Amino acid sequence: MTEAVLQLDDIVKSFGATKAVDRVSIDVGRDEFFSLLGPSGSGKTTLLRIIAGLETPDRGRVLINGEDVTRLPPYARRLGMVFQDFLLFPHRTVAENVAFPLKMQGVSPAVLKQQLEWALDLVHLTGLEERFPHQLSGGQKQRVALARGLVSRPSVLLLDEPLANLDRELRKEMEIEVRRFQIDLGIPFIYVTHNQEEALTMSDRMAVMNRGVLEQVGPKLELYERPRTGFVAAFVGSANRLHGEIRGIDGAVARIDWGGNELLGATPSGAGVGDRVDYFIKSERIAIVPAEGAGNAEGHTRLAARLRDVIFKGQYADYIVTLPSGSELVVSGPPALDGLTPRSDVVLHWPAEAADVFAAEAP
Amino acid sequence: MSQVEAVRTSPLGRLWMNRNLRFACLTLPGAIFILLFLVAPLMSIVVFSFWRTESYNLIAEWNLDNYRVLLSDPTYLTFLWRSTVMAVAVSLISLVYAYPVAYLIAKHGGRYRLILVLLTAAPFLTGIILRVTAIQHILGPIGLINMALTTFGMEPVEVLMYSNVASAIGLVYLWAPFMVLAIYLSLLNFNFELLEVAKVCGARPWRAFVEVTWPLNWMGTAIGIVLVFVPTLASSVTPRFLGGVDGALYGTILAHQFGATGTWALGSAMGVILFALSLIVILGIWRAVNLRRSGFTGEEA
Repeated sequence: MTEAVLQLDDIVKSFGATKAVDRVSIDVGRDEFFSLLGPSGSGKTTLLRIIAGLETPDRGRVLINGEDVTRLPPYARRLGMVFQDFLLFPHRTVAENVAFPLKMQGVSPAVLKQQLEWALDLVHLTGLEERFPHQLSGGQKQRVALARGLVSRPSVLLLDEPLANLDRELRKEMEIEVRRFQIDLGIPFIYVTHNQEEALTMSDRMAVMNRGVLEQVGPKLELYERPRTGFVAAFVGSANRLHGEIRGIDGAVARIDWGGNELLGATPSGAGVGDRVDYFIKSERIAIVPAEGAGNAEGHTRLAARLRDVIFKGQYADYIVTLPSGSELVVSGPPALDGLTPRSDVVLHWPAEAADVFAAEAP
Repeated sequence: MSQVEAVRTSPLGRLWMNRNLRFACLTLPGAIFILLFLVAPLMSIVVFSFWRTESYNLIAEWNLDNYRVLLSDPTYLTFLWRSTVMAVAVSLISLVYAYPVAYLIAKHGGRYRLILVLLTAAPFLTGIILRVTAIQHILGPIGLINMALTTFGMEPVEVLMYSNVASAIGLVYLWAPFMVLAIYLSLLNFNFELLEVAKVCGARPWRAFVEVTWPLNWMGTAIGIVLVFVPTLASSVTPRFLGGVDGALYGTILAHQFGATGTWALGSAMGVILFALSLIVILGIWRAVNLRRSGFTGEEA
């Protein structure tokens, strides 16, 4: 990371008795795509609004390019922002919508024209200048909103779930384009979303928020591969969550009882025998083989199960398996694995280090 | 024979199936009402305005004398001019009062919004005479304000007693609630988040109002202006109670024609002129509402 363009320093914001944002500090570098990921009500949108100046934090500072802007009103911050629901001005044409920030800054007509053309060209909207928002498709509206956010060349672009209202096909396409804009412009994008797929597709780094608190901040692969809390493990990627109890500890590896099955996983720090734990195993880390001729690898968790169904997803398939205890697990693997037909007996196995184990949260 | 078939072949059923007849049945009551109580009186006024009156009797002799008098005699033109100035002034004062009130209620009224709006119209629960008298009791020589001033040994405020200012205050009090309501209803459909967008885009609060709030609510505002302008232009009771000797307006003189002087034909012509002037103003304001620019697309939030 180069020097930080945006710094959040110990931000606190309460609404009544609830802490919407609780002691959040983040630094975002010059050419980073940074995602704030969390469920609704996790405080991610409030945090974005604090950066934009639409909310004032109770405590803490917001710095942009080293300058303290905590007390500056939104119109003095010179940020770009793309809103959920597009929020275009319905009485303005595409060109007027996009040029609005330039007009507010009072740039000269020549510069305005040049910047406007640049922004419209960037988002492929040239030719639609005279249309009104209600004459545009959802994807076109989204492009107008993006162009309006980018047109004044802000030092940071904030995006509040900008793709939430687009259909899946269009979203995939826009994800790639938004990422392209960010790389082309070389400015940080702060992207708020509840969709982990979006965050994983586009981000360099991401932060997972839960109940106003940062659960984990880091490069996206780190969050995916090495979640530090049960919440992150559950929220990022698709993991099977198993509630178990520690039966024994052999060095770093704990033997965990899960409804009569033995699971192996890294011992959570400070945990002892008898502690309840949440055991997460990502579906693609589970190996699935037909029961006949299945070997027995040392240090692997090994479960016998029956294949209930195969859900074909294109490049991969989800194998739904039922254990004798009645519990179900999801295993992702290549489609059409040999010898795997519904109602056949299978063996699941995975190494101890593939699982993420955390002390169980109080229910 | 099925039930549908039975309906189709019975005489009454056949009548019911006739779409034109059904349409007529539905629209007739409303059409009759409008014809009887709006178009007919209006047409009779127009007809009378081309007749003449003699000793309290209408005489059906077609002529243009009424209009010639009204459009050439400086007295009538002066009163028409006064009424127009009054209507413009009252509309502007009402606008300055109504917009912030409607805005505050729509934005911050929460669940009490409807009650607050109805409260602004509470005086409508009484008659116009009562309301005008109430204003008299506040502004007049023995009214609340001047009584208080004289009690404390100060000079009474002359301008509040039987003057055009008093009339204007009374008319604003009478008609501004309509404007509050019109602007409030328009603001109910306004997405206040657009103001946040404008601010993040660099607009100061006042600029955001001019660029976003005002144009997107201009239609409601325009309707509010019409709702104040038109009745003020024709007002007669209020200036008579509050305006004093020099406070007569076109409407006051018009009412005279149907009362004391009994010159119905001239009065009718005055009514037609007021009607025409109102129409011109309404058309002018309507032209100023660009539907495409009003954000009124029927689908945008």
